[in-house]
Amino acid sequence: MKNVVIAGYVRSPFTLAHKGALARVRPDDIAAQVVAALVARTRVNPDDIEDLIVGCAFPEGEQGLNVARLIGLLAGLPQSVGGLTVNRFCGSSMQSVHIAAGQIQLGAGEVFIAAGIESMSRIPMSGFNPLLNPALQAKVPAAYIGMGDTAENVAKKWSISRVEQEAFAVRSQQRAAAAVQAGHFVAELVPIAAKSGSVDADGCLRPDTSAAGLAQLKPAFNESGTVTAGTSSPLTDGAAAVLVCSEDYAQKHGLTPLARIRSVAVAGCAPEIMGIGPVAATRKALQRANLEIGAIDVVELNEAFASQALACARDLGLRDETINIDGGAIAIGHPLGATGARIVGKAASLLQRTGGRYALATQCIGGGQGIATILERI
Amino acid sequence: MQAIQRATVIGAGVMGAGIAAQFANAGIPVLLLDIVPEGNPNRNALAEGAIAKMLKTEPAPFMSARAAKLVTAGNIEDHLAQIAESQWIIEAVIERLDVKQALYRKIDAVRKPGTAVSSNTSTIPLALLTEGQSAAFQRDFLITHFFNPPRYMRLLEIVTGPKTDAALADAVAAVADVKLGKSIVRCKDSPGFIANRLGVYWLQVGVIEAIDAGLTVEEADAVIGKPLGIPKTGVFGLIDLVGLDLMPHINASLSKALPPTDAFHTANRDLPLIKKMIADGYTGRKGKGGFYRLNRTGGGKAKEAIDLVTGEYRPEHKADLPELAGAAKNLRGLLTSKSKIGRYAWRVVAQTLAYAASLVPEAADDIPAIDEAMRLGYNWRAGPFELIDQLGVDWFIEHLEAAGLPVPALLRAAKGKSFYRLADGQRQYLGTDGQYHELRRPEGVLMLEDIKRVSKPVLKNASASVWDIGDGVLCFEFTSKSNSLDESIMSLLGKTIALVQSKYKALVIYNEGSNFSVGANLGLAIFAANIAAWSEIEKLIAAGQQVYKSLKYASFPVVSAPSGMALGGGCEILLHSDAVQAHAESYIGLVECGVGVIPGWGGCKEMLSRWTTSGTLPHGPMPAPTKVFETVSTATVAKSAAEARDLLYLRPHDGITMNRYRLLADAKALALRLVPNYAPPKPVELKLPGAAGKLAFTLAAESFRRRGIATTHDMVVADELAGVLSGGPADLVDIVTEDQILGLERAAFMRLMKTKGTLARIEHMLVTGKPLRN
Repeated sequence: MKNVVIAGYVRSPFTLAHKGALARVRPDDIAAQVVAALVARTRVNPDDIEDLIVGCAFPEGEQGLNVARLIGLLAGLPQSVGGLTVNRFCGSSMQSVHIAAGQIQLGAGEVFIAAGIESMSRIPMSGFNPLLNPALQAKVPAAYIGMGDTAENVAKKWSISRVEQEAFAVRSQQRAAAAVQAGHFVAELVPIAAKSGSVDADGCLRPDTSAAGLAQLKPAFNESGTVTAGTSSPLTDGAAAVLVCSEDYAQKHGLTPLARIRSVAVAGCAPEIMGIGPVAATRKALQRANLEIGAIDVVELNEAFASQALACARDLGLRDETINIDGGAIAIGHPLGATGARIVGKAASLLQRTGGRYALATQCIGGGQGIATILERI
Repeated sequence: MQAIQRATVIGAGVMGAGIAAQFANAGIPVLLLDIVPEGNPNRNALAEGAIAKMLKTEPAPFMSARAAKLVTAGNIEDHLAQIAESQWIIEAVIERLDVKQALYRKIDAVRKPGTAVSSNTSTIPLALLTEGQSAAFQRDFLITHFFNPPRYMRLLEIVTGPKTDAALADAVAAVADVKLGKSIVRCKDSPGFIANRLGVYWLQVGVIEAIDAGLTVEEADAVIGKPLGIPKTGVFGLIDLVGLDLMPHINASLSKALPPTDAFHTANRDLPLIKKMIADGYTGRKGKGGFYRLNRTGGGKAKEAIDLVTGEYRPEHKADLPELAGAAKNLRGLLTSKSKIGRYAWRVVAQTLAYAASLVPEAADDIPAIDEAMRLGYNWRAGPFELIDQLGVDWFIEHLEAAGLPVPALLRAAKGKSFYRLADGQRQYLGTDGQYHELRRPEGVLMLEDIKRVSKPVLKNASASVWDIGDGVLCFEFTSKSNSLDESIMSLLGKTIALVQSKYKALVIYNEGSNFSVGANLGLAIFAANIAAWSEIEKLIAAGQQVYKSLKYASFPVVSAPSGMALGGGCEILLHSDAVQAHAESYIGLVECGVGVIPGWGGCKEMLSRWTTSGTLPHGPMPAPTKVFETVSTATVAKSAAEARDLLYLRPHDGITMNRYRLLADAKALALRLVPNYAPPKPVELKLPGAAGKLAFTLAAESFRRRGIATTHDMVVADELAGVLSGGPADLVDIVTEDQILGLERAAFMRLMKTKGTLARIEHMLVTGKPLRN
């Protein structure tokens, strides 16, 4: 089988929904600028691209229709490049990577852009017209459960205390702040043109976060619960994209591959504890890669909530120093459809930076799923 | 002066910033300038800080978040030249003559001649302010004295000098009246003008007489309050509100400016207790407390009052004074009571009213100016001369003489007369020339109270009256307690519709109560529920639905004109009107869920129609019901007419009137504009989500429950509301008619009326006036 590699990663700044600098920018415009920048920075020949695969959790409104095709046209990709919109909620753009990898191995193309987009300012979570099925609700009462409630369930079931969650959130903020200081985000960030000017910096970060400050917050989802706004990822606007191609193509065309995709997996779990989804998905992926967890040097574990990230880390036996080295979604933000591409790209670039051999990128998915990707440094 | 395109306010203190906010509320862009603060890199920090603070202040100085964007912050060093673009420049800086005069010279150098410059001074005479200024400046200068808070206080005192351009002053007054919504009282250039001069005297007398008579603050406030038509804050409560620290400043400035013979000096006694309170930070509500305070030690909220003798706080005792029973109707009885309370009432009232009489013509040309100043500046129901008329001029003179108190010349000249009289239905006042003069409303003002004085209602029953307000327009007036809606109102409204249809052109629904309507009469509802007269309740709901529907589809235009609260059924009547002309200070909301029911007179139906047809929401069956669910389930009340627009309680074509006095005239004009080619609205056909949507609302409500925001009974009410708003059994391919939604409203309302939780809510509201969170 052909080897598939990640040969480039960029993202827009991630900014707070509603009040952030990207709140007034259309999501297709954000994504198009990110895609165009990926092409420019990797110097891939756009005519070689088979397909643009865009993940989006609520593909309606300005990110509706077949937004992937529209983003391709906006980005100035040749009309010969296809466009496919993918929805696996928070796992959408990681799924874009998986589809690209599968297509390449199937011989259905050499070069793909796997991207993700979400404007949580402009398209509300649940979309504009959530029309729920009462029969399903009766059959599976947690089918439509709110994400915050699942975080509370996981905190309770895995006995993750509020103090632990807050320590984890502070750690995420501090690591992100340190990464900013060290300039680790410079290479991945694409400035986005907005009416108010160019948006070139992340907007969600709260580097001054302290455990004492977090302890003051009220529970966000349950008055007797432990999950607060400070230990949850914020509603975020942003886009991310990675270049996925065959290793042969990368070599032949002078691209710089960051990492090889070793294995991928998805797995379902109970909807009411969806945050634990990465555990089963990761175990499958490890098995497929024939690796033990101890071999993983770099982990990008999406921080939808501190409680679920901690529960997953504990169940998987992850080493603290390997997790979210440049901070996670609690600090950086979580534009649903875009996060998967961000953490795959981030894991690949961290392998280059740290010299580690294997990386894991994994995330939980609303409705009760997990998705995982294992990478190997080239 | 040209029409006001832009205004400038210099001085971003509480008053200056508040005045700027009121310009913004009127839709006029305003530049707010202050000095450059020392040691702050942000040179606009003071004005910017004032705007930011106002956005967090309650009650809100801004009527909407949009208004705040019309205020531009700046500083007098970098931005003074920009005042050249303003047609009205208001100075509201520190009360120091040298500072103001120096600023005026700077203003004069950059402003355009002919633009108005006014000072918001409360203490410095105009003659001093303009001394040494250019002739052009003196021509364009006047005093415009706003009251705090500028958005809510309707009084504006205007003082002009001998050199002030009269036309310019009239133009400023017109803008202040029509755009800023103020009622103008013209004052003479005398110390403290009218409201502060008399008001401060009254408060000072109220305090020293209470101390001398050994009254508690609660007793004093109970006397100098409700029986006199004065807000229940009385004397001490009002000083707490205004700020104790302000009193010595005004006292000192009045003391300096008034001649030694003025009665003010006898009331201006040094009060060690107040001095100590100010020094200790007890400056009133803005400080640690004042004569009253909330003691939060130990996490509680104990209401306390100060002992005027010891200066120590003690638990607040509600004054229970037998003298006050029936006092409002028998003021003479209270004032002649020999008790401690009666003597106190007499001493305060006698001296205050006599002092008022001494201020004409020194501070005002005529008595209506003084009465209006006290009504609007202090929310007295009747002004001092109206109170003297209630007592009788001769009675008052006699009792003043008997008490050895001086009788002012104006009062003596009125002997044998009254200060006001009716002649041919017109209200007249007694002038200083001893003649009666007609009390004229400003041009463009139409008051129902005037119409009622000279005509008989066209229709009338126990809860409502209908008046002919001319030009083929009828005015429907609620007259029930708190203008609550009942069966009589529905029945008279039905008759009125038929009458207008046959003989008139249009209908205006309006009244001059402090609130347009607080909604349905809950007392009647609970009574019927207690005797299980369910069919009676359902009949009333159905009757209301029917009448409101007839109102909507009548062959003539209907304009509702609310001011104050328009809640529940009072809001629903607005929703069924062709247009609304709302007073800017209208507080509109569908608050039914707060008392455990849902809007049952078509409120759900109309809000669904409005959001569906607003063109502002994404397509599909959910966005409109979602908006309505959010607004109605939380019983959201708009805090201004501008905010009511955002909630679609008002539509874009509805009008907003800033000046309360102009509301009826504006509403009538709007109704007449709608008459030519009038066609009733077409019914809206809705597509609603049915059970799928209801589930989404239920899940949302449950998450609010888990967060501790929604209560147990909220869930019951929300479930019923969700059922109505999602269209009940509707499928999203069906068209749901207005009548189908009315049926859902009725059924849900009746089910809720039969729950214990709802009955408990209604009872609690009736007893306490507050919602029960069960």
